[in-house]
Order: sequence, then structure tokens, then C-alpha cells
Amino acid sequence: MKLILSDHPLPLPDLGPEVRFVDLSALRIAPCTGCFGCWTRTPGRCVIRDDATAVYPLIARSEAVFYISRLCYGGYDTPMKTMLERAIPVQQAFIRLLHGETHHVQRSVAMKQATILGYGDISPAEQEIFRRLVGRNAANMNFAGYRVLFAREADLEQTVQREVTAWLAS
Amino acid sequence: MAGILILNGSPRAPRSNSRRYAELFAKASPVPTETVNITRTNHGELCAKAARYHDVLLVFPLYADGIPVSLLNFLKSWQDRLPPKKPRISVLINCGFYEPEQNDVAVAMIEQFCRRTGCTLGAVLKIGSGEAILDTPFVFLVRRRIRALAAAVTAGRPRVLQVTMPIPKRLFVAASAVYWENYGRRSGISKRQMQSMDIEPQPPVT
Repeated sequence: MKLILSDHPLPLPDLGPEVRFVDLSALRIAPCTGCFGCWTRTPGRCVIRDDATAVYPLIARSEAVFYISRLCYGGYDTPMKTMLERAIPVQQAFIRLLHGETHHVQRSVAMKQATILGYGDISPAEQEIFRRLVGRNAANMNFAGYRVLFAREADLEQTVQREVTAWLAS
Repeated sequence: MAGILILNGSPRAPRSNSRRYAELFAKASPVPTETVNITRTNHGELCAKAARYHDVLLVFPLYADGIPVSLLNFLKSWQDRLPPKKPRISVLINCGFYEPEQNDVAVAMIEQFCRRTGCTLGAVLKIGSGEAILDTPFVFLVRRRIRALAAAVTAGRPRVLQVTMPIPKRLFVAASAVYWENYGRRSGISKRQMQSMDIEPQPPVT
């Protein structure tokens, strides 16, 4: 399965049955409270029972993800960052060594190809931070490979249409 | 105002490791400090308070490879309410991973905030194995680094420091397994249950 996760409603071509589109702006997702409940009390299950609990299983199952987020200070802006923080039930508390570095053990999370599109008024310095961030995400979110794209807000819909069309064909 | 304002940006601020790190910093600081937790509703109050300080220390954990959304949201509020004389912002960040360098991107985000707003980035302390190190014999290493951080912040020196447990990574992995196993046991959950591969399993019908 493929997943498009956006902080923003988007006009998209027909995605077919294998692709899910999730518009985070239409969901009710509270911030993670750092309670570690999903690791130590109800493993794999967030204790906050809101819309995030329907999204992180989709992230886990997907073999390809396309994340679309406004950037802020070189990172994901609030809606996407809130969701990614709420996705930690897909990991265990336990630590493993991956490429010589410590990372959390993943539960049943498919290895995935990730396309990450950051949009907004993004400076070269912010682009560089974001590339580094996605590189870190790759280790912690089971990305087998990834691409990082940038777009101005005015060009966002056009960029997404083009990328989704190519992505669906891949 | 002379002194340092410590802002705890942890999502679980009152019972966080960041609170303990902030307390150690306050003890080590040669100048007076004031510590406040960032909450969802106190941004206005914090912005007004921060305007009275030249030095602000952000204490927070690494969250999903970056700054926690609780801190991100505060920075977005603060950006528009900074006083004409911009503060110097120092950082005390911890992550549960062994490598303090895993905090680098989050520090770069704070640096980007400073670049965008005209604030100055002050001293930085990156802590690895930050979930557990305070309850190990290696806490003295943390105290030593926090003293160095406090001295750097007070002197206005932009120093970058880091600390982690001085043990092999494989031993760290084993020790962290024991730490989390004990954590789960306090909630009546076994290691085997914590190792479940299921995501969003349905609770048993009672």
C-alpha cells in the first residue's frame, strides 16, 4: 500500500485502491504527552484515543509514503510534526544498533520508499537542515530510500500533481 | 535582567528528565535562574517574562528527530513577540539514544530560529543516553558538563558540549533493555508484551 500524508487538502488525480490519502488538517490529533504508555503500558497502542490512532497503522503498513508539509525552522511544521510524534507506537522502547548507531526497534513496520516534500518560503539553510532531518527520519522510520523535494507555496499543487502522477506510475 | 530564564520544553515538563536537567543547571549556575515549563496556554506569559532576560536556556528532549512540537509552537509564538533587544538562547538537549550527535538537527533548528529572528545562539549541551544517565554512576559526568554549560552561558561563550555514558554501545543497548523492562514491570507489563510486533492491537474484551 502507498500513503500520501499531507498537512493540507489537495486536489489529486484518481489514486486507485492501493493508495490512501490522509489530510491531517481534517483530523483531530492531540500532541504526544510523552507518557511512554505506547511502549510500557499498552504496547503498540497510544493511550490518547483520537484520529492519530487510525493514521500510524497506515504509516506502518505502507511500502511507499509521500509526506507533504510546510516547513518551520528547517523542520516539519506543527500538523505533520504532531502526527509524526504520535506515531511512536510503531516502535518499541527497546534499542538496537543500526549501521553502528542506536535506534528504536520497530514493530511490524514495512520498509518504505519515502518522498518528502517541504513547502513554504524556505531558505537554503532551512533546506539543508531539512535534508539532514529526513536523513535522521530514514533510520528511525524505516525508510529504505528517500527523496527530499521543496516547493514554494504558490507552486505546491502543481508540484504535488506532477510528483503523485510519477509516484503512482513507479 | 541579570540571570537566566530556563524554559522547559518537554511535553511532560513537570515529570520529565528535562526538569531534572534544569534543576541541575539551576544548582550549577553562578547567577540566579528562574525555571518555567512551556505549556499550551502560557505562551503570552512566557514571552513577557523572557523579554526581561538577556539569557534564555531551552531545556528539552529530542522528539522524532527534532524539537518537540510543544517547543516548536512556543517558538512560533515567541518569534512575533521578541523585544527589540533580542535574547541570547542557549540549549540543553537530551535524547535517549547513545549518541549525543543525534541531537544535532534539533540544535540546528534552534540555530535557524535564532537566524530568522536576530537572536544569538549561546552555549549548547547535547546529552546522549539522557533517559537513564541521571540514575547511573555516570551522573557525575552530566553534572560536570552542566557546570561547564552554566559557566559558558554566564560568560556569554558560544561553547558546544556533549556527554553520554562512557560504555560500549552494545553494553548500552543491553543496559537500556533492562531499564525499559523495569519501566514496563512497574505497569505490570512483561518484556515479551513490550516486544509485541502488533500496532494498534485491540484491547481484550472484558
